[in-house]
Amino acid sequence: MAYSEKVIDHYENPRNVGSMDKDDPSVATGMVGAPACGDVMKLQLKISDAGIIEDAKFKTYGCGSAIASSSLVTEWVKGKSIDEASEIKNTAIAEELALPPVKIHCSILAEDAIKAAIEDYKSKNG
Amino acid sequence: MNYFQLFGIELSFDVDLSQLSQTYQTLQKAVHPDKFAHASAQEQLLAVQKSAQINDGYQTLKQPLERAKYLLTLRGVVLPDEQQSFSDNSFLMRQMELRERLAEIRFSDDIDSALADAQKVLTQEYQVHFEQMRAQINANNADENAKASENLRKLTFYHKLNIEVERLEESLFDD
Repeated sequence: MAYSEKVIDHYENPRNVGSMDKDDPSVATGMVGAPACGDVMKLQLKISDAGIIEDAKFKTYGCGSAIASSSLVTEWVKGKSIDEASEIKNTAIAEELALPPVKIHCSILAEDAIKAAIEDYKSKNG
Repeated sequence: MNYFQLFGIELSFDVDLSQLSQTYQTLQKAVHPDKFAHASAQEQLLAVQKSAQINDGYQTLKQPLERAKYLLTLRGVVLPDEQQSFSDNSFLMRQMELRERLAEIRFSDDIDSALADAQKVLTQEYQVHFEQMRAQINANNADENAKASENLRKLTFYHKLNIEVERLEESLFDD
């Protein structure tokens, strides 16, 4: 399958790969998986007291599109408030990376990872 | 006619695979193109369609995860969309650990035993979920059917991990 240049760029030079301490109260962890392809995605956000995302890290086991989607999301969420981040839609991710229809679920996974991380933050600091 | 009826077996998750394979051969012989060499175009077409149906049925019933999916669907259980994200945190954490473990195998001092150990762990965990699912399917009620479909999703992750292990084996020992 032909990947777009942007997918290849994120796949070959993934941004913000890594882990943060999930027990740190300012760190939100979102874990999601896609049974269809067995992809597993972990997105972690470091959130300030004012609710601004200061840092983001990801670790994804999956295809190039899943890695690129999560890498892109870490770039997009930095500096955003949690409300702004929760408005990121999978369609925007898919459009930016020019994902083909069969890979749209990778962008859905990345959107769900943001939501899962924010939910984790709210349950920690609710 | 569902696949269980097609193969003349009870509507159950537990299938005798050698019997299934024998029935498959018998059914395929009956619709073999040689038998229809002098038949009408219409009959030939029907035989080809029947053969394809027998083949699909065999592939579905032979593979336990496909069989589980098919049986639950026959019972009217609505299986979650495969594209829908799965968010059982502790399960996904475990999947992440297993993926990390596989990724580290190529750097270990004793690759053979690291690989064998990882395979053993994967097999054990697969079996735990598989036996749970089997019992839930056999219980055959709404609650247990729902739990079975949850375990079926988990088993799909292990199935993919096993494919990863095969890929890893090829990449480690082919060069």
